[in-house]
Amino acid sequence: MSIARFSPFELLLLKSRSQVDTATLLLLGWVLVHRQHVSEGQRRRRLAQVTAQFRHGHELGPVMSIAHSQDLHAIQLAAEVVRKECSHERSLSVMHQAITVATDDGAISLANHYILRFLADLLNVTPATLGTLFQELTGKPLRPPEDPSRDAYWQAHDPGHYAQKAKEAAEAAEREKATRARAEQQQRAKADKQQEKKQKQQEKQQQKEHERHAKARAEQASAEQARAEKARAEQARQEQARRERQRQEQARQEEARQHHYRRTSSPPPPDRTTRALAVLGLTPGASKTDVRKAYRRMAQLHHPDRFYSESEHQVALASARFQRIKNAYDYLMQTY
Amino acid sequence: MRDLYQRLALTPDANDHQIHSAVARCQNSALRQDATSVLAVAPHRETYDTLHHTLSDIGRLRARLGLTHGAHWQGDVANDFSLPPDNAISRHDELVDRVSHAVSLYNRWRRLRGPWLLITVFAVGAGIGLALGFALSLGFSLG
Repeated sequence: MSIARFSPFELLLLKSRSQVDTATLLLLGWVLVHRQHVSEGQRRRRLAQVTAQFRHGHELGPVMSIAHSQDLHAIQLAAEVVRKECSHERSLSVMHQAITVATDDGAISLANHYILRFLADLLNVTPATLGTLFQELTGKPLRPPEDPSRDAYWQAHDPGHYAQKAKEAAEAAEREKATRARAEQQQRAKADKQQEKKQKQQEKQQQKEHERHAKARAEQASAEQARAEKARAEQARQEQARRERQRQEQARQEEARQHHYRRTSSPPPPDRTTRALAVLGLTPGASKTDVRKAYRRMAQLHHPDRFYSESEHQVALASARFQRIKNAYDYLMQTY
Repeated sequence: MRDLYQRLALTPDANDHQIHSAVARCQNSALRQDATSVLAVAPHRETYDTLHHTLSDIGRLRARLGLTHGAHWQGDVANDFSLPPDNAISRHDELVDRVSHAVSLYNRWRRLRGPWLLITVFAVGAGIGLALGFALSLGFSLG
């Protein structure tokens, strides 16, 4: 029987004089790694400054290298140790250190927004407390993180790209207009020529017709009646054909529309079910009874009435969570 | 922050062609616009991918630590990056198990070291004696 090797962080933790301090060090290193616009030396110095009174008794180098490798197992281990060993005061001081490490002047990277909030959840620090701490340390309120998955974020942060795109579009439109104008000019010139020709022909024809008219007027009087009747019959036939064609066209359009509708109203994507299951803490393939059981448990855990004795903010958060759980449950009950 | 890959039914390592076809297939015009301005532009996508990676890590950590319904884990992020709790055991318990296993192995070695040393010394001595005897007998038979 053999045991797996101890990972570098586990060895550090075993050698350390204080496990909490080592674990906190790794979490602070994780925050520092996601801080932008600072050099490696500055990071080390900052970490040493903040953790001057720690009693871990080992070098900072290995901790920073583990933090750089973003080893999820190590971070999970550190989080577990910190959660297990931290008292309330200690957890506030860890939060304090994390904010200090993440920012000097309130400018905080997007990743650190989420990491700080993760640490706050881990250490049972409420959003109100976190906001106050942040305000005290940096002098700026903690804003909700911006959303780089939206077009608006990039319009604000990368206007150069949009300016270039607009310029390209304008150039393309101009080129298009120029080519169209040229084509139109050519066409007009051609049309003018044709008209001149036609006019000449018409004049000639008119002369001929005049001569012919005199001759034909006598015959015309008799033939006129027969021709008029024939023309009327022809017109009626054409009208009918046109109506028929229109009806066919309409039918075809109707069918196409129906087809399109059928395509758009296809069943909802399967990931919505997965997400709804994840909200209830279930894996795909859970049965209806599982869903019901999980919903009962979750509803009891997150019911707003449980937080009645705590702050109003807590109640609002709980009701948001409860709503999310309830929506997921309703959706699953409909689809299952 | 939303998980655009998940919403377009893609994997995070999808290539440009896959992204274009997924965007063309998408019915929601707002999502289509966001996807074209984030995923179709290389520098934007790079920034988005780093944050996406970090958030997936945090989602996994939260699932393992039982923090998927925390007060700070709300809205789009919680909807898109929450994972079902996987059955990974607590790393700390695992570490404790491994340390105790290593300690018991070490103790057993300490306890059995005396007899095992005797046996090894005897075996080595016997081996050397046999080899010498063989060499001597060879020498006699030749000489």
